[in-house]
Parts: sequence; structure tokens; C-alpha cells
Amino acid sequence: MEIYLPIAGMSINFFVILGIGGMVGFLSGLFGVGGGFLLTPLMMMIGIPPAVAAASDSNQIVAAASSGAFAHWRLGNVDFKMGLIILAGGITGGTIGVQFVKILRAAGNFEFVMKVVYVLMLGLVGGAMFMESLRTILRSRTPGAAAAAAEVSEPKLARLFAKMPLKMNFHRSGLQTSAIFPFAIGTIVGIMAALLGVGGGFIMVPAMIYIIGMPTIAAIGTDLFQIVLTSANVTLQQAMVNKTVDLLLALILLFGSTIGAQFGAIAGKRLKGEQIRILLAIIVLALTVKLFLDLVLTPSDLVSLAPAKGGGH
Amino acid sequence: MKRFLPLLLVLGLGCLWVAPAAAITPEAKQKVVTAASKNLIEIGISYSGDQVHFFGVNPVPGSDLIIRLTAEKDEEIKFSVKGKVGPFWMTVKQYEVTGAPFTYKIHSSKPIKDIISEATAQELELGYPAIRHKMKMHLSSGSAAPDDADKVFKGMLKIKTEANLYNIVEDPARLQVAEGKLFKHYFRFPPAATEGRYQVESFCFSKGELVGYGKDIIEIKKVGLENWLTQTSQNQPVFFGILAVVIAVAAGLLVGVIFGKGGHH
Repeated sequence: MEIYLPIAGMSINFFVILGIGGMVGFLSGLFGVGGGFLLTPLMMMIGIPPAVAAASDSNQIVAAASSGAFAHWRLGNVDFKMGLIILAGGITGGTIGVQFVKILRAAGNFEFVMKVVYVLMLGLVGGAMFMESLRTILRSRTPGAAAAAAEVSEPKLARLFAKMPLKMNFHRSGLQTSAIFPFAIGTIVGIMAALLGVGGGFIMVPAMIYIIGMPTIAAIGTDLFQIVLTSANVTLQQAMVNKTVDLLLALILLFGSTIGAQFGAIAGKRLKGEQIRILLAIIVLALTVKLFLDLVLTPSDLVSLAPAKGGGH
Repeated sequence: MKRFLPLLLVLGLGCLWVAPAAAITPEAKQKVVTAASKNLIEIGISYSGDQVHFFGVNPVPGSDLIIRLTAEKDEEIKFSVKGKVGPFWMTVKQYEVTGAPFTYKIHSSKPIKDIISEATAQELELGYPAIRHKMKMHLSSGSAAPDDADKVFKGMLKIKTEANLYNIVEDPARLQVAEGKLFKHYFRFPPAATEGRYQVESFCFSKGELVGYGKDIIEIKKVGLENWLTQTSQNQPVFFGILAVVIAVAAGLLVGVIFGKGGHH
């Protein structure tokens, strides 16, 4: 069943978009990531112009994340105080990030820099998560070591940040820590989000778990909460500045992804924290390898259409 | 040699003077009467391109036919050229291209080069070499290399051909001419063909000379939801952005509520 996308200016099979949306939505509900880091490259692979892909993905992330955020809120997994502090940083960082993007685009190699940053970030995050989860799983299989593991798993960095000024109580996360770090990580992720065109969950969730020291499930719920607002802001800006939000594309994607996210959240309850983390790590590492190959293998087309000035078509 | 120079100059100027007078004006030729199966293509929600059939009468029976489909407006596009820097492939230069048609399709009853001379082809912009001659490339970043023009042109042809926006078919089977007089053929308008006016021109040549010309206009227009979405996003971007966010949040929450209730059974 073919469907014509008005802003992308192309016709495409309805079920291809629905399937991609559903798959990414499932992962979104499971891991608490917006899914933009998977969705943008997938949309581009099926021929959607990059600018339209990124903007429409932001739009669908709003839906996928609000569905997931709502599910986690009902389960009591959102730390609103933490979320608002991170969000303040995210808006600051997003504004700075957009300026970086503007400078890089003028220099003509935005895509290249984007991919290099992707490879570095995803490689680092995926590698660290994979090693850590593997260690936890192996340790839990050794009798008697499980109790010791709980002690060790409190990150050293978390203890250091707890000693810094602007100390606050985060009841939901069961933490007493400085507000400086959540704001700083929000800012850094905001910059990355603008640079990479993603929600930033894949950086935010590990940072909240490993650096701030939040419980995995609270980190996921809180991250989804801040993603809803960050992506809503990006969607509005893209619609106003670049006019690249394809509402029809976003609607099909969100139809698939909102349903997928519900199944993801259910599956998440059945899996242990370290199992979720090792799965996410494998996906992240696979994407890293793919992007790295894009950078070093000879491209099939040396000449390509450059993005039109401020538009999708 | 030197004393011939003024003479050569005069002769040269003379040629320049004569050239416009010799220009081919297709509209002045005998009219090729044509009819299209439709003149308006509507882009609706399930649009996936369209096909328009054309019929015509050759004014000079037995003459050769070349039929061309182009968009009324030319395009201004930018191409990135990749090169190897260390182990990485990255954009090393960019070219702005003007004067290249957005879409360009030709049907001819036999190879163009067997019908008309290179000069005529160039003047009437028939065939890829004529396009190449007409379009202008401007280096907007990076440093130029001698084979760039060739590389960019080939790259453009590949991109356009893959989108089915460019195509040349020099085959009598594709352009049927009954008894040298009545001809019929069809053009496929791919989904990549955007809104706007397109022209289908029929050229008749006899012994390399243009003897007949006809033109049909086909308009592509978005209708219904497709039109509303496009118009709103272009003309009321703030409203469109807010709408997109509100719909997304509402849809997300709606599904959340439905599944939330379902989960409590």
C-alpha cells in the first residue's frame, strides 16, 4: 500500500514505515531511549531526505516518549525534580548546539563530523555498558559474590558528586546529590542532541545510572520525561525554521512506535536491569560498526545531492 | 597573415550578426496537433506517480519525431563531491549547478544523432550533451580538479535517472508512429515529480530540419489532505509546529491510557 508523503515529496510503502516505527518504539519503551539515533539513519536508508527524516523523527519521538513517560509515571518511575534540572541544562545545551551545527554546515562537512562524533560516543557508551553488564551478569552467577556486587556497583563518581555544593534531596531516586552535575550533563546532552539530531537517551540514561547513581528504572522514566519536552521544542523549531516536519510521516511512525513502546515497557518489566543494558549495548555497538564502515569504505556514489538551503526539497 | 586579420574579424562579426537570424523558432513551424489523456495530475494520499498518454498527428508524414518532457522551471541544486582524506571519505568540495532541468525525458523514433546535427540538438536542447552544454557549475567550496565537470554531470545523471526524472528512449517501439502520420506514446510521471507545470513538446524533423512543433502542458497539483499539509506547513509554520506537537502528545497519551487500562486486567 503506497502512501504519498507531502513534505518529503515521495511515495513509499505504508507498512515499511509502520514496521520501522513499531520496532524503534519497542526499543524506546524497553530502554528509555527516544530512538532517534536508530530512526534517523533508518529513514535515510529508505530514501527520506535527511532534513525531513531528522525533523519528523523529533516529532514522533514526542509521541513515543510521552507514551513511555506516561507508562513510567504510572509506575512511579519519574523523578520530576531531577528531570526539571536536567531539562534546564538541555535547553541551554540545545541552544549552544544549534550554533555549532550552523558553523559546521557552513564549513561543508556537517555529516562527516556528525558520523565521527556518533562513532566515538556510541563506541564509548556501548563498550562501557557492555563490559559493565557482562561483569554484573558473570558475578551474579558466582555464588556468594552477589551480595558483594551490590556494594561495588555504587559508582565512585556518584560519591564524588554527592560531596559538591548545591546539594539536593531526590526522594524518588533515593539520592542526596549536587544539582550541578545533572544540569551539566543536561547541557552536554543538549549540545549532542542538536549536533546528532537525536533525543539523547543513549547518553543520558547511562550518565544517570553510572555517574549520578540513579536506579536504572528511575533513570529511564526521568529521561523519557525530559525527552518529551526537549523533542517538542525541537519539532516546533524545525517546523518554524526549516519547514521539514512531515506530519503524515510522523503520524505513521508514531502510530507504530506508540504501540511498540507499550510492548517495550511490558518487556522491560520482565527483564533484569543488566539484561536490558547488555541488549542496548549490543545494538549501540552494531550501529557504531555500521557508521564506522560508512566513514572508511568507498561510497557507491561520490557525487550526492547536498541539502538544499533551509528546506527538505 | 597580419593583413588578413581585419578581414577575419569582419567575417567573424558577420557570423555573429547572422546567427540570431538563423535561430530556429519552433513556434513558427507547422503545428503538431496533439492530445493528452489528461492535463492535470492530482497528488492524493495514495499517489505513486502517474502515466499520461499522448496522441498526435505528424504534419509532414514520414518525418522523424523527438518528444521531450521538461519542467517549466529549471532547478538550482547543490552537489557534494566526496574524496578520501586519510582513511576517511568526506565531502571535499561542493558545486552549485544552475540551468539543469528538474526533469528531462525524451522519446524519439530513432537515435537523436541520426535525426539532427549536433548544432541543432544543442540549439533546441535535445539530448544529454545539450543539457551538459547549457548547465553551469560553480564551485562553492573546496578546490577544483580538471575532471570535476564530468564527474558532477555523471553523478547528476545517475541521481536523476534513479529517481526516474531523467530518461532518454530512442526506440520506435516506445514511440509508435502509424503509417508515418499518427503517433502515440506515454510519459510516466514519477512520485519524485513535484507540484508544478510540465511541458511535453513534440518536434518533427525532415532531413535534419525542424518542420513541425507542438506543445502540451501537464500540471501536477496536490489535493485534499496532501495540499492542506503542504500549504499549512509553508504558510503557517508556527501553527503547524504546535499542531504537530499537540497531535504527537495526544496520540502518545491516548495509546498510553488504552494500554495502561488493558494492563490492569
